[in-house]
Amino acid sequence: MTLQEAQPISALLDQETVQSIADEIWPALVGDGEAFVPVPVAPPAEVVSAWVTISGPWDGAVVLTCAPATAEALAESVLMTRPPTVVDDEDVADALGELANVLGGNIKSVLPGPSSLGLPQIGSAPTTGRLDDVCRVNGQWRGQSLTITVQGATEAPHPSGTEVPQ
Amino acid sequence: MRALVIDDSRAMRRIVGSILKDFGYEVREAGDGQQALDALQEGKAEGWVPDLCCIDWNMPVMDGLQFVMAVRANPDFRQVTLMMVTTESETGQIVKALAAGAHEYLIKPFTADALRDKLALLGLLPEEVSA
Repeated sequence: MTLQEAQPISALLDQETVQSIADEIWPALVGDGEAFVPVPVAPPAEVVSAWVTISGPWDGAVVLTCAPATAEALAESVLMTRPPTVVDDEDVADALGELANVLGGNIKSVLPGPSSLGLPQIGSAPTTGRLDDVCRVNGQWRGQSLTITVQGATEAPHPSGTEVPQ
Repeated sequence: MRALVIDDSRAMRRIVGSILKDFGYEVREAGDGQQALDALQEGKAEGWVPDLCCIDWNMPVMDGLQFVMAVRANPDFRQVTLMMVTTESETGQIVKALAAGAHEYLIKPFTADALRDKLALLGLLPEEVSA
């Protein structure tokens, strides 16, 4: 294993970089004037996560976690100007997965490469391992808790839901 | 103008498709590269050949790069303009896509204006939109 391969995410990425990436994504994908605000609020009792894996000199995942209701609101916002206006569960999984995908792709671009990006998955987030191999931004969108976690791989993720989108 | 939007995300297909429709495009969709190849063949049989394909990179079954190579290897679709629309933003990836035969590259996230600018560069923006 090379020195580069052994580097934890805390040596490669900081919260400000994750926030700046989210600052670009939210207005473009979620909607004009929308923002991921890096001010934590109380975490929801029930959560859903969408994530993509990154494989390369650094192995891990970029995970987006929020309450199911927030995921639904995100999907409605992503699809707001595009029919259909009523979102179903597949739309929610798809939109949350695409948000994780765009986050993951942009985070991958600032990590040592070459790396490859996995397809979006949704369900219970993969477990985190070493504390220094996690970069987490606890924030909010429209006052609801939303967390972006960039975490090193510990084991193969076991999605409780289905891989999205198909 | 006709466009085929190829992305495994339904949300992204709707977003790209909606912008293109606003620009006056007739839009069809495919969920991966193989579905897109099938759509091209079926379209050709009915006289519907797209002017533009917007192509995601990471997709199941057949990814965007494989799709670009397959289309470029088929003389029936030589006139189709291929634009990658993807989160893959590393220079090496962009070079690889252009070398395989893609004409343009748009990195997600993007705005409608960014897509419009790319279409203008490609000469694929209808006159009534560019005016």
